[in-house]
Amino acid sequence: MANVLTVEHLTKKFAGLTAVNDLSFTMKERTIHSLIGPNGSGKSTTINMCTGSLPITSGTVKYRDEIISGRVLHEVASRNIGRTFQNLKLFGSMTVEENLMVGMQAQMKDGILKFLVSPASAKAEEKRANERAMEVLDYIGMYKYRNETVANLAYGQQKLTELGRSIMTAPKLLFLDEPAAGLNPSERVEFVKILLKVFDDGIDLFLIEHNMDVVMNISNYITVINFGSKIAEGTPKEIQNNDEVIAAYLGSQFKKK
Amino acid sequence: MAQTVLQLIIGGLAMGFIYALVSIEYTIIWNASGLLNFSHERLILLGAYLFGAQFVVRNGISNPIAVVLMLICTFFIGVLISYVLMRPLRNLPLVFSVTGTIMLGRIITEGVRLIWGNNPIPLVGWLEGTIKAGELVINRTYIIIIIVAAVLVAALQIFLNKTKVGTAMRCVSQNKKAAAFMGIDVDRSSAITMGISAVICGIIGILIIPLFQLKGDMTGMIGIKGFAAGVVGGFGYIPGGIVGGILIGVLESLSTLVVPGIYKDIVSFILLIVFLLVRPSGILGHKA
Amino acid sequence: MSDKYKKILMVLIPLMIAIAMPLIVTDNYFRGIFIMTLIYIIVVLGLNFITGLTGQMNLGTAGIFAMGSYTTALLSTKLGISPWLTIIGSIIMGLIIGVGLGYPSLRVQGVYLALTTIGFGEIVRILISNFKFTNGIMGIRDIPAFTIGSFSFDDKLARYYLYLVFVVIMGVVAYRITNSKWGRLFKAIRDNYEAVQAVGVDIAKPKVLAFTLAAIYGCVAGSLYAVHMEFITPSVYTFDLSTTFIVMMMLGGIGSVPGCILGAVVCTILPELLRDFGNWYWIIFSILVLLVILFRPNGIISFLKTRKKSVKEGVK
Repeated sequence: MANVLTVEHLTKKFAGLTAVNDLSFTMKERTIHSLIGPNGSGKSTTINMCTGSLPITSGTVKYRDEIISGRVLHEVASRNIGRTFQNLKLFGSMTVEENLMVGMQAQMKDGILKFLVSPASAKAEEKRANERAMEVLDYIGMYKYRNETVANLAYGQQKLTELGRSIMTAPKLLFLDEPAAGLNPSERVEFVKILLKVFDDGIDLFLIEHNMDVVMNISNYITVINFGSKIAEGTPKEIQNNDEVIAAYLGSQFKKK
Repeated sequence: MAQTVLQLIIGGLAMGFIYALVSIEYTIIWNASGLLNFSHERLILLGAYLFGAQFVVRNGISNPIAVVLMLICTFFIGVLISYVLMRPLRNLPLVFSVTGTIMLGRIITEGVRLIWGNNPIPLVGWLEGTIKAGELVINRTYIIIIIVAAVLVAALQIFLNKTKVGTAMRCVSQNKKAAAFMGIDVDRSSAITMGISAVICGIIGILIIPLFQLKGDMTGMIGIKGFAAGVVGGFGYIPGGIVGGILIGVLESLSTLVVPGIYKDIVSFILLIVFLLVRPSGILGHKA
Repeated sequence: MSDKYKKILMVLIPLMIAIAMPLIVTDNYFRGIFIMTLIYIIVVLGLNFITGLTGQMNLGTAGIFAMGSYTTALLSTKLGISPWLTIIGSIIMGLIIGVGLGYPSLRVQGVYLALTTIGFGEIVRILISNFKFTNGIMGIRDIPAFTIGSFSFDDKLARYYLYLVFVVIMGVVAYRITNSKWGRLFKAIRDNYEAVQAVGVDIAKPKVLAFTLAAIYGCVAGSLYAVHMEFITPSVYTFDLSTTFIVMMMLGGIGSVPGCILGAVVCTILPELLRDFGNWYWIIFSILVLLVILFRPNGIISFLKTRKKSVKEGVK
C-alpha cells in the first residue's frame, strides 16, 4: 500500500516553546489514522502544519509523492486535501446549502466574463453544484435543514455542515480536528456512522480525537504523541496495551486483557 | 539656507509630535477595545472650541482655569462616548465600527457648528510669539508643542507601565477575556482609555489654535496623518507611533524645499501606502 | 408561484416609480436631484461588492469616482473623444485601479485596506487639485453631453431616462453577480476567510475581483457625473463623499442590491425634504445613521424582507 501522508522530522517552535519536536510518521492508503495525546501535546499544531494553516519551523510533509510543506492552506486544499477545524469555521450568515455550495467553488471554473455573457452556462454550472450539494446534504442527513442560517443551528448540526462542506471539495484525504468533541452520545454515534460512510466512499481519514471509544473503534492505526514527540504507534490493540501510553495518557481502564 | 532648514525641522518636529500623540491615541483605543476611532480630529476640534470659544471668549474665564475645565469636560465626554457608543460598536464588524466612529465625528462637527457658529473665532495672544536664538527666529508655538507633547508622551508611558490602571489597560489589550476573568472591568478600562484619549485630543486642540486658528476645519488631516504615523512606525506599538509621527512631520515639512508647499499633504499618504505595501510591520518591525 | 409574482412586483413597482417621478415632479432642480440619485446608486452598487459583500472597508470611493470623472472630462474636452467612448475609458480606468491598487493592498488585513483606500482618495484629490493638465482647483469646463445622431441628451428629462437605462443594466449585472457563485464567495470571505482557503480557493483573486467591480462601477458613475455636471472641480471628491457612500449602503441595507438602491435614494432625496430643519438637518441625520448601525445593522431594507423559509417547509 502506498503512503498517503509522510511526515518527516516535523518541528514547530513558538517563541521559545517547542510545540512539535522532530515528529515523523506515515499514513497508509485506505486507512483511518488517528493522532492522539494529552492536551497541549501538539496534535492541532501538527494538523495545522500538515494542511498549511501554520508555517513549519523545520521538517517536511509529503502527500503521496509531492512535498506539500511550505504551501499555504488554499494550495494544500486544492490538492484534494480537505480539513475541518477544532473551532468550527463556518459562514455564519449563510444557509447550510450555501455553505456547502462554497465547497464546490474551486471546481466551478467559469470566469466572470463567461458568466456575464452566457447566463445559460452559468446556470448549468450552478445547477450541477446544487445537485451535488443536495446529494451531500442527504448523505450527512442535513437535507431538511438546508435553508437554515448556519449561525442558528445546534452545535452538532454545525459540525455536520462543516464536514459536508469539506466533502463537497471532493477530497481524497480528509483531516478532522476533534470531530466528536462537543457532541452528545447519540450525535456522536451518528457522526461516526457518517465518517465510516465517508471512508467507505474512498476518502482516507486522518483525525485528532479525545474520545477513546471513537478512536479505538474506527482507527486502523494510531500515533501517540506527548510533549510534541512521538511516544508510540500501532494498531488500536497495541496502543491500548502500551505501558507508556497508559501512563502518559490513557489510564488503566482502557487496558484490554 | 541652513536657517530655513532648521526652522522647517523645528516646525516639522512640532507637527510630528502632534501626529505621534494622535497615533498613540489610535493605539491605546485599538488595544483597549479593538476599535479604530476615526473621530480624533473632531474631538481635537471639540477640545479647542470648548477652551477657546466657550470658556475663554464666552465665559471670560482666565486661560489656565479654562484649560483645566476643558480637560475635565473632555475626559467625561470621552467616558460617555465609550459607554454609549464604543461598547455596542465593539461587537460589530470593522465596517460598522469604523462607520460608527466616523458618524460620531460628524455629529461632533455639526454640534460644534451649531453651538459656536461657522465663523473663525479670534483668540488673541494665546501661545503666540517668536523666540530668537541668534539669527534664528522660531515660532514660540512650536517650542511649546514640542515640550508639552514630549512630557505627555513620557507621562503616558509611565502611566501605562507603572500604575495599576495602566497595567489593567495593558492586560485588556493582551486578552480581553482573560482580563475579564482576572476581575478587570473591561468596560471601565475602555472608558478610562477613551477619557484619556479625549483629554489628549483636547490638549492637541489648544496647542494648534495659534497655528490654524479656531475654525471648523482647523484640524485638517491630523487624524489620518496620525494613523499614517502609526503604520510607518509600526501600528499597535507606542514607540512606533512616536518614531513614525516625527518622521512624517519632519519629512513633510522638509518636502516644501523640493516641491510646492501644496503637495506637502501627500507625503504622509505616500509613506502610508509604501509602508503598507512594502513593510506593513513598520520601521521598528514590531508585530502587533 | 406567489413568490415569483412578489419578486416581479418588487422590481416593477420601483421601476414604474422611477419612470414616473420626473414626469410628476417637473421642477428642473428636482430632476437634477433625481439624476444625482441615479449616479449615486451606481457608485453604491459597486461599493457593495467590496465592502457590503466581501466585508473589506473601502474609504476611497471618492477617489475612484474622481478618476472616472476626470477620465471622461479630459478625454472629451482635450482629445474630443465622444462621451460614449469615454465610458469605455472609464471602465479601463476602473480595471487599472482595481488590479493596480487591489492586488497589493488586499494581501494585508482589513484595517490596512481601509487606510490604503483613504490614502488613495486623498492622493487623487490633492493631485487633481494641483496638476496643470487637470486645471487644478479651477476644474474642467464644457464637458459635452451624450448625443445620438443629432439628438443630444442635454435636457434633464432625456438625460434622466438615459441614466436610468445605465442604472437598470448595472443593477441587473450587480444583482446577478450578488446571487451567483461570486456573490456567495464574497460573502463567505466576509464570514470566514480561513474556511474559504480550506476549500481550496485563493482569496486574493475574488477580493481583487470585488475591488475591481467596485472601481469600475465607481468610475462609470464618475463619468456620468462629469457629463451631467458639464463642469467639475476637485472640491467634490472628498473623504466626506466616500463616507457618504458608505452611509448610503449601510442605511439601505449592506450586502443587498435593493438595499443599496434604497439607501442611495433615501440619502439623496431626504436632505431635500428635510430642508426645514435647516442647520439641524445633518446632526439629526447623523444620529439616525448611528442608530441604524447600532440597532438595525441590515438597514432599512430589513424592514421589508420576508422571513426565510422555516425548517418545516423545507422537509423533503
